[in-house]
This record gives sequence, structure tokens and C-alpha cells, in this order.
Amino acid sequence: MLAYLIRRILLAVPILLGVVAVVVISLEIVPGDPVALMLGEFATPESIEATRADLGLDRPLLVRYVEYIANVFQGDLGTSIKDRRPVATIIGETLPATAQLAGVAILVALAVGLPLGVASAARPHGVVDNAVRVLSLAGLSMPVFWTGLVFIVIFSVELGWFPVAGRGSWRHYVLPSITLALPSIAILARMTRASLLEVLQEDYVRTARSKGVGSLRILYKHALRNALIPVITALGLQLGQMLGGAVLTETVFSWPGLGRLTVFAIFNRDYLLVQGVVLVLATIYVSVNLLVDISYGFLDPRVRYA
Amino acid sequence: MKRGILSLVALLGISSGAAVWAQSTDELVIVRPSDPVSLDAQEETTAPGAWVFGNVIEPLITLNADMEIEPRLAERWEFVDDTRLRFYLREGVEFHDGTPFNADAVKFTWDRALFSDPPGRWASLAGPIAAVEVVDEYTVDIVAERPYGPLLLTSTMVYTGVVSPAAVERLGDDYARNPVGTGPFEFVEWRTNESITLEANDDYWRGRPDLDRVVFRTVPEAGARTLALQSGEADMLLKPNPADLASFESSDEFDVLAATGLRVFYLGFNLERSPLDEPLVRQAIAHAIDVPGIVENLLEDAATVPTSVISPGVLGYADMNLDERYPYDPDAAIALLEEAGFTQNDDGIMERDGEPLTLQMLPAAGRYLQDQEVAEVIQEFLRQVGIQVELNVFEWATTFTQLREDPLQYDMFSFGWLTTTADADYTMYSNFRSDQFPPDSWNSWRYANDEVDALLTQAREETDVATREDLYAEVQAILAEDLPAVPIYNTIEVTVVGSDVEGFEAHPIEYNLDLYPVSKAE
Amino acid sequence: MSAPTTDANAPTRGTWKRFRRNRLAVLALGVVLLTVFAAVFAPWIAPYDPAAQSLFDRRAAPGADYLLGADAFGRDILSRIIFGARITLLVSLTSVGIGVAVGGALGTIAGYFGGWIDTVVMRLMDVLLAFPYLLLAIIIVSALGPGLTNTIVAIGIWTVPAFARISRGSVVVLRERDFIGAARALGANDARVVGRHVVPNFVATLLVYGSLYLAYAILMESALSFLGLGVQPPTPTWAGMIAAGRDYITSAPHIALIPGIAIALVVVSFNLLGDGLRDALDVRSDG
Repeated sequence: MLAYLIRRILLAVPILLGVVAVVVISLEIVPGDPVALMLGEFATPESIEATRADLGLDRPLLVRYVEYIANVFQGDLGTSIKDRRPVATIIGETLPATAQLAGVAILVALAVGLPLGVASAARPHGVVDNAVRVLSLAGLSMPVFWTGLVFIVIFSVELGWFPVAGRGSWRHYVLPSITLALPSIAILARMTRASLLEVLQEDYVRTARSKGVGSLRILYKHALRNALIPVITALGLQLGQMLGGAVLTETVFSWPGLGRLTVFAIFNRDYLLVQGVVLVLATIYVSVNLLVDISYGFLDPRVRYA
Repeated sequence: MKRGILSLVALLGISSGAAVWAQSTDELVIVRPSDPVSLDAQEETTAPGAWVFGNVIEPLITLNADMEIEPRLAERWEFVDDTRLRFYLREGVEFHDGTPFNADAVKFTWDRALFSDPPGRWASLAGPIAAVEVVDEYTVDIVAERPYGPLLLTSTMVYTGVVSPAAVERLGDDYARNPVGTGPFEFVEWRTNESITLEANDDYWRGRPDLDRVVFRTVPEAGARTLALQSGEADMLLKPNPADLASFESSDEFDVLAATGLRVFYLGFNLERSPLDEPLVRQAIAHAIDVPGIVENLLEDAATVPTSVISPGVLGYADMNLDERYPYDPDAAIALLEEAGFTQNDDGIMERDGEPLTLQMLPAAGRYLQDQEVAEVIQEFLRQVGIQVELNVFEWATTFTQLREDPLQYDMFSFGWLTTTADADYTMYSNFRSDQFPPDSWNSWRYANDEVDALLTQAREETDVATREDLYAEVQAILAEDLPAVPIYNTIEVTVVGSDVEGFEAHPIEYNLDLYPVSKAE
Repeated sequence: MSAPTTDANAPTRGTWKRFRRNRLAVLALGVVLLTVFAAVFAPWIAPYDPAAQSLFDRRAAPGADYLLGADAFGRDILSRIIFGARITLLVSLTSVGIGVAVGGALGTIAGYFGGWIDTVVMRLMDVLLAFPYLLLAIIIVSALGPGLTNTIVAIGIWTVPAFARISRGSVVVLRERDFIGAARALGANDARVVGRHVVPNFVATLLVYGSLYLAYAILMESALSFLGLGVQPPTPTWAGMIAAGRDYITSAPHIALIPGIAIALVVVSFNLLGDGLRDALDVRSDG
């Protein structure tokens, strides 16, 4: 078990190094000079050069990459070009807003998606199943930002129920978290249904049934636990979707999180900030998937760590 | 299960109280599009920062909403000679940290911006300043290297607000997020990309402000800002969406306050490229664009029809009579193009020597009010007289970098220039002198006229205001003839407030947002 | 996206018969064909020139003059949606084409040869997959600059790892089969074995996933356009229309909301089409 864990973690490191390399190389060819942009209309060529040197941007790509990696291992993500503050500090200030939004959205997705999936599996091709099928198809097909705008028009402009500008009380969470959760609700409902139906075909369930155990009881007591395993995999993938989807949701709802920060950083050509955000998001994503793999062992004793 | 969810919600740190919705009458909530970079004028000269620090620090003198000079930390001032401006300072004023305000603090502030390495962001706006000299505890001289007319207006800039030397030394780099000045409000908290909070300065030398707290909230979406004001979540909306102004104006619940701004948005021509090096073609384009139509219908009158390359509020402004010289007249445009040797082909496109008239345009996008939309409308107007325009739209970072390149790779561009100092010298000198081509300066149209060069130098060195105004009027008359650019709109600084907000005055300078006189009715 | 354990059948005559029985899938095919038709014949179908502005009619509500209303410039929204279909289809088809071609090739090579080639290729794919949704495309497109070609390239690269995994999975399974061994034993060279025996055997899988990825690609193009990183105005794109309509969400919500219906409709159709193909071609998947 421990050996397996260490092996998995060691495997994740080159992947993250690769992620940083992709970002560094991409940003190198981005048109638009971040320093000239930052200094604005009053800048002189001398002040631009001086600032570039000050930020170390005048050195070769490979040197910057190696140094960046070395610093990352010491917890230093560099300094934002625009804000002139440590990237780690800025991410630290911004991450909680995204974590809260994604956290609430995951809860919403579970709270809605699981029961819908169970209800669908209880009577395949029944009314509920068909309705859920249509809804989840819609949830997967509507662009997130558009759903958000539809919610804004209905619940804020017309009904005036929820605010849409940024973060504050619990009311501010309602629309963005539902918007962000919608595709995940669809996926979770589908996965739960498919997985439950498969488990229900297996021998031990049939045995229980032949012994006269009620079907609802079978569903909850015997089937659900085993059916949850693939659902948890899906949940891990959904988190990745949400971290990316947050870029759109946070834009629509003026949410002060990492997603919006990424977009601003890209528009401002704030290289180190973009690198830092992507590295942090990719690390979270890779770690969550690692956790998902490990959690198999607790849910399914058949899984062995080779 | 329910308890589980609730405790998870608590774990995530979401407050269950409706904090933002429960507003007291002495708190003013302002919504605006973006967060500042810094609250130190050294590093931040754009409006989102200045709106905040302009209420924390104060300059020696200031321009009021009628563009008249008013005293602030200086009681009076005089030109001792052509190059030396003397300020007599107010006594007994204290910074928010309790340290005293005096001539040393003024020298500290100016020296820090002008003579440190690298210099502060506003140093290049200040002009050729040689030194700031302390005469006595409450008298200070600002000395120019040579006679420099704009010096007085330089001293009104919000960036020159005096900072507490003790605080700057104590806080170091952290000062950028903890400004300390003498102003009516003290800095409390900055939550990145979310909100900035200020609190009343109880010991303010003009008396405590009516407002207890001011909260600047960052809301990038225009629609969301409108909704925030409509729902009562906010009291003041900066940079409102033009399309929403009509509904605000017709409502009793809101007041729309406006002042003609100092930014002019232009269509600029690259005079180094054919055929825009021909005056006839430039004049044809001017006739082809319905400028008043754009202002009324696209900008919803949230801007005014420009009358010059600089705004009426700027010292040195003169009417260029553009409406009489170049009225909207597509037929005249076509006639001018034909005079220049173009003929319309079967598709209605202008051709000369078998070459269609196609212009590459680099429009500003996502930076100024309706900038990209204006470009699309210009494209359509020019299409109607047979000129094809290709829009090369990029993100602002890329556009900005390309605009500063030499040579400029496009035939036309659009840009919104703000006369930050409210003095014509700032715009005229950098934009129209032949030795100010990019990348060093801002003559992006590559305009070169010896007569204009001479007039601009003369106007800069003159300290008599009336003489300076005459010189700039001459320059503007020449520019109306040469037409390196077609002004499209002049900004209006619009602020929408709830009708319970009293005492606010819109200011022509985008960066000035004086909250001291503001109060909220019970 | 987990690699499917495929047991795919190449498309046959029976496929169409089975597909036809799925009424939703047939309906979806109808919507897709209609969209293709609209895109190809846009200049003849659209009631107005999509670029023609009429500032007096700006933000006109849907009605007799403008069936779906007019945007902030007084341009006809219906006409712009019809022309916008061109970009939607062009971007999704070509980018998924890139994904299928490049990803399919890489996956086939990795799966067929195995060993260090397999390791290098698949680790590279892992790097691309480690980017949370949308971020990879955003970074590529901001590096290359917005615009049609770069949007296609960015989305194409984003789809590569999925197709690489799918085809590698299929090839690994097929490689162990007897008929491949037989072909090799008969002296066929690698390229011939791959071309004649391996590739046709997972075409069905690629077809199903291609259809589903068309749906994802459209959503990805929408996201990029919405953020201002996609195809630039005045070229009409559906998501670009939504983005531009955001400012009028309180005064004229139809500008932003109507184009979204077009996106959702076409994405639903490609999803249903993919499901229908999967059933008809009998491709097993755990996605």
C-alpha cells in the first residue's frame, strides 16, 4: 500500500513538470509585452528595459524554466508582473473563493445527481428515468456560461431573488453553484443509474432477491455501495471539470476566484501568475484523481495495490 | 444528512448572515469594473486605484468639478519666477498614523516619485522638474529645469497626493496595500478582486465626513453592476452600461450625474502608408463616418460629439469645427475618392490602378467604451462608400504592443487618449510633434509639420495662460486641415447613484472621485 | 475519459437499420443535417446580410421585422445565427478531425509498438490530460493568438489525448488477436498490418467518439469565444453573440439568450447522434 502510494506520487511529478513546461513554452510565444502593458501610456523604452531586467525576463527561456522549477520546490512561485506581489500570496487569497464555490457545487451535484440516478435505476425506462435522461442530456449540452445568464435573467432580473455580483452571503452562492453543478449533476445521475443497473444484474443481488428481500432494500443495502465505485471515479473527473468550468462561471457571476484570476492573468500577460495558477490547479486535479484511485481500496476489497 | 451538509457549509467558511444586503445609511457601497493594481500612486495611475487612494491622500491643490484650481494641503501658491512655484502649506494637519504633515513630507512624496530608481509611474507626466526644495517647515518650492507652463496643473494631479513618510518607511513594499495620507477617509481592508473598505477619518482637517464607511466592490460584468444598483445592493455605480442609462434616468429611484470627460476616442491614420498619406482620402473617410449618429445611437449619448482632438475641459482647447468641415456626406466622400483617382467597380468597391481600396485597421478592443463596436460601425460606414476595412482585433495586450511598434503595420487604428494633466501640452506635445514617434512617444500617426513643432515648443515654455491658449488654438486649426485623425467621441464621466445619495458631483477627470461631500439620506 | 474496452464492429448495412430504429437519433441527425444545410446555403437562406447594421433598430425585440430580434447594432440575430453555423461546424469538424488523425495515429503507434514508444507517447498524453478542462485550450489559444485557425488548433490539441487513448486501447486488444499474428507470420510489414488489419477494426469506435467529441468541441469553441479568445468579431459566432449580448442582459436579454439555444440544440444533437451510433455499431464504452 505505502509502496504503491509512493510510486503513484513519484509518477505524478514528471507530469506536473510537463504541465509547467507546456505553460512556460506557450507563454514564451504569446504576443504582447507584459511589461509595456503594465507600465502603460507613460512608459519610456528605458523604463521598460529596466523593469524587464528587474523581473528577470531578459534571461533565456531554459534558465528561467530550471530556476522556476527549483523555486517551486521551495514553495516560491515567483512574483506577479502586474501586482508585483508573490504569486503564492495572490493564489492563496483567491483559492478559497473557488474552493468554496466548487465545494458547494460538488455537494449540490451529489445531493441532486445521486437520488436522480437511484430513482432512474429503480424503474428503468419509466417516467422518472426518461425525464432524468432528458434533463441530464440538457445539462450536458448547454454551455455553462449561457445557463448562468439564463438563471440571471430569470432569478435576478425578473424575480429579484438572488444577487449576482460577487461573493457575500449565502444568497450569492445559489446561482453560481447550481450553474457550475449542472453538468456534474447530469454525469452523476447517468453514472449512478448505469452502475446500479449493472450491479443489480450480479449474482449476489439476484440471490438476495430470490430470498425475498424487498427491491428498495436491495437497492440501498446491497447495490448502492458497490455501485458507488465508478461514481466516485466520475466525481474525481468532475472536479477537474469544475476547476475549468469555474473560469466561465466566475466570469458570468463576477466571482473573485481562481478562474477569473486566470483569465485576467492571461489578458495581462502576467506569465508567472498564469504558470502558478495552472500548476496549482493541475496539482489539485492530479491529487484528487490519486485520492480517488486510493479510495477504491476502502470501498472495494477486491482491489489490490500491485 | 442535513446536519452533515450544514456543517460542511460551515467548514467551507460561508457566512450565513446577509451581510451585504443589510446596509446601514452611513455606508456607501460603490460598484466598479476592476480592482486596482496598487493603492500607491507610485505604481498605479489608472482610475480603479486613483478612485480609492484619491480619498486617502490629498495633493497640494486640486481641480474642482468646474476645472478651477482649489487649495487642499496648500493654502496659497505663487510663481516666484518662470521656473519656481512656491506653495505655502496648511499647518496642524496630521496623517492617519498621527505623524505631522509638513514641507518635508511634500518633498519626500515628490522625490520618491521623480528621483528614485525606477521612477514612479507619474514621473513622466510631471514635466522637467529639477528639484523640490524645502524653504521652511510649511513652505516648499517646486523647481522646473526650464520655463514650463504646465507646472501648476501638474501639482493638481491626484497622484501627487502627499504620503506619510513614516508609513512608507515602516511598511516598505506593503505600503502599496496600506496607503496612509491626510485625506477624509482611512484605509481599512483590501480583499483582492472583491472589495476595498475605507473608514471616515475622525480628525479630518475639514471636519469629519458624513459617511462612516465606503466599500468599493469589484464587479466586472456590466449587467451585474446594473443589477447590484437596482436591487439596492450598491449605492453608486461607476462606468455604467450606456444601454441602461435611459432606464436609470427615467426612474425616480436613481440619479444620473455626468460631466464631460477629458478622453477623446479617435480613428487614427497611418500617414506613412499609401493611400492614407493623401489628404483627399483622409477627408473622404471623415465625410463617410456619421459621428453624431454613432454617439447618439451606439453610445446612447453616454459620450458627446467631439469638437477637437482634445476635450473642452482641457487648458488650450479650441473648437476644430469638424461638424462644418467634415459633415456626414457619403456622396462627398465618394466624390473626394474619385478626385483622388479611385473609381467604383461593379461590386461597389473603390479601385485605383486595378487595386481595390482595402485598409487594415487595428482597433482598440475591450479597453474603452464600446471601442470594438465603434470599429465595427466604422467598417460598415466605410463599406458604404466603397472602402473595405479589415478589422484586426486582438486582446488589448497585443493591440497595445502593436500600436507602439515602429513602423506601424496597419493603415488605421483606434485609440482613446486621455489628457491626464488637463493641460493641452501633455497630449499635443507627445502626439503631434515630429520627434515623438513610437516607440519612444505617442505620435502614432507619424504626423510631421514643422510649423506645429515650433508652436508646441513655444507653448510649452510660455507661462502666460492666455498666450498658451492662442498657440494651441493655432495648432488645432492646422490639425483640422491636415486631419491625422478623426475624433469619434468625447467621453462623459457618468456616475449613477441611488436617489438617497446626496452631495456627489461628477468630475471631468476620470480619476477624481471626491467622496468627502457625499452623504446618504435617512 | 477512460479508454473503452472495445469490441467494435466495422460499419455494415445492418448498422443503418439499427440506427433507424432510434427515433431520437434520427431526429438528431435531422437537426445536424439542417445545420449543415443552413451553413452551406447561408447567403440564400438568411433574411438579412448578417453584417448590415441599422442603428435605429438596435436591440429590437423579436417580431415581424426581425424574427429573433436585432442585436446592439441592429443586426438581424436570425441571419447571424445562420451564418454563425458556419464557424460552429467548421471549427468542430476540423478540430475533431485533427484529434482523430493525430490522436489516432499516436495511439496506434503507441499501442502497436509498445515499449518505450508507448511510454513516451502516453506520458505526453498524461501531461495534456493533467490540465483541468478548458485551461489547456485557453493557454494554447492565448499563446497563438485568437482567430479561426488558432481556435481550431487549440481545440484539436485538446482532443488529441482522448483519441490517442481510445485508439491505443483498441490496438492493444487487437494486437493480441490471432489474425494479426497470422498476418505478421505471413510476412506483412508493420505499416501494412496496421493499415489493413488494425485501423479498420476501431473505425467504429472512433466514429462514435468523434460524434461525441463534436459536441464537446462545440462547447469548447463556445467557451473560448465567450471569453473573447475565439474567432473574433465581426465574424458571427454563436458564443460571440452571447458574449456581446451580456451587457444588455437587463435591457434586452434576447440578444444573449437566443444564440445559446442554437448551441444547446446542436450539441444535444451530436450527443444523441453519438449515442445512436454507439448502439447501432454496438460499441461498448464506460463513458
